[in-house]
Amino acid sequence: MRLKEHPILDFPAGREVVFTFDGKELRGIEGEPIAAALHASGVRVLRHSPVSGRARGFFCAIGNCSSCLMTVDGMPNVRVCTEPLKEGMVVETQKGHGHLPID
Amino acid sequence: MNRKSADIVVIGGGVVGCATAFELARLGCKNVVLVERNTIASGSTGRCGAGVRQQFGTELNCVLAREAVRIFEHMDEYLDYEPGVEFRQSGYLMLAYSDQQWEQFQRNVELERSLDIDVKMLTPEGAREIVPFLDLEGMVGATFCQTDGHANPFHTAFAYAQAAKRLGAEILTHTSVMDIEVENNKIQAVVTDKGRIATSAVVNCAGAYSAKIAKMAGIDLPVWGERHQILITEPVEAMMGPMVISFHHDFYCQQTPHGSFIMGIGMPGEPKSFNIRSSVDFLEGMANTVMKILPPLGNLRVVRQWAGLYDMSPDAQPILGECPPIEGFYNANGFSGHGFMVSPIVGQAMAELIILGKSSVDISKLDAGRFERGELVFEPAVVG
Repeated sequence: MRLKEHPILDFPAGREVVFTFDGKELRGIEGEPIAAALHASGVRVLRHSPVSGRARGFFCAIGNCSSCLMTVDGMPNVRVCTEPLKEGMVVETQKGHGHLPID
Repeated sequence: MNRKSADIVVIGGGVVGCATAFELARLGCKNVVLVERNTIASGSTGRCGAGVRQQFGTELNCVLAREAVRIFEHMDEYLDYEPGVEFRQSGYLMLAYSDQQWEQFQRNVELERSLDIDVKMLTPEGAREIVPFLDLEGMVGATFCQTDGHANPFHTAFAYAQAAKRLGAEILTHTSVMDIEVENNKIQAVVTDKGRIATSAVVNCAGAYSAKIAKMAGIDLPVWGERHQILITEPVEAMMGPMVISFHHDFYCQQTPHGSFIMGIGMPGEPKSFNIRSSVDFLEGMANTVMKILPPLGNLRVVRQWAGLYDMSPDAQPILGECPPIEGFYNANGFSGHGFMVSPIVGQAMAELIILGKSSVDISKLDAGRFERGELVFEPAVVG
């Protein structure tokens, strides 16, 4: 789902880019939050609570709540609600707290 | 306050005070009162780096730490504490950066081994097998003790406090000690803001504030506060087992069971004070150092930072035991940054000393009188 018209907000036309989500190819608008692109593609579960295992979705949308932490281009704990989408990004669901790359 | 008298009043609700109160009750003292001006573990205990190590340079510290580890190993059962104190024996990796330091480490290892503490000596490459992303630049060698580790200071203090209560000890939080009444060099009472407690014995476990408490009994105790700062990062999956520690950089860093990294570094020129405010230069110095030695951690976000007080003594060693000429005034303070890790054995030793007149681990060299006698016990292996 993606809003195209809004009473007070404008949505300037952006370039469509391809990225992957858990290996699946998806499309989004360059520069929009990664979470927006995922949402537009129907992705509702962004992570699972490391404690209870329950699903976590798009929540605060301003980079505060930790609900949307995902692994992006190998880096864990990226807040996809505020991180701009770029061409070719590799977005992955995080396992537990996420693995920090060590090289 | 209902209670008007106590056999023993323990001052301070940190881990040392709680352990002492528990051990006193366990040895049959039914009328123990612990007085804490804030809440349990609200001072240095709850602010500490949570490490538990046995790698020291003096026999006394090695023995105290070894005995403490033996208690930590079965603490959940010993104190019947269901949440658990989160003791993990994931080791301490100590890094040496000069030949002189390496020689000291080798002497320490010889001592540790003679005391039944299993410590390995490693080349820098060997250290890297334990922490694969360790930067080796300038490193001469490392020592590693697998049975060292870390525990949760809050849980440990709570476990002791709850166990003490079950054995009949009374714990008065939000109660400040205002005065200590002494007559003919004998303790008469502890006066708090909630009332007077008649007693003949006091255990001073007030951490950095121990000198203030001692002063109330007319004792000059050479203990002072020194700020030390810590930061904690966001959690990631387990990637570093041991506490990594370097005296050269004056820093330590561990990954908690939760996945967060906790780290601290000494700040040169830190004055004597009760200041527990955070500073931005710590954040910068800490980040620069940890990124040099453990580079991948540079990609972690800092979640928060805080400060706490070391209760420093002139030789950076604890002050334990009775404090002449005042009969019934006992000290368990001056831990100088390694109090949490020895708290279980200190509690036992203090209780044995007070109730039985003698402790099973000999702590007589750590009495307050050593400063006047000039018998200071210098420990070569301290950090932060």
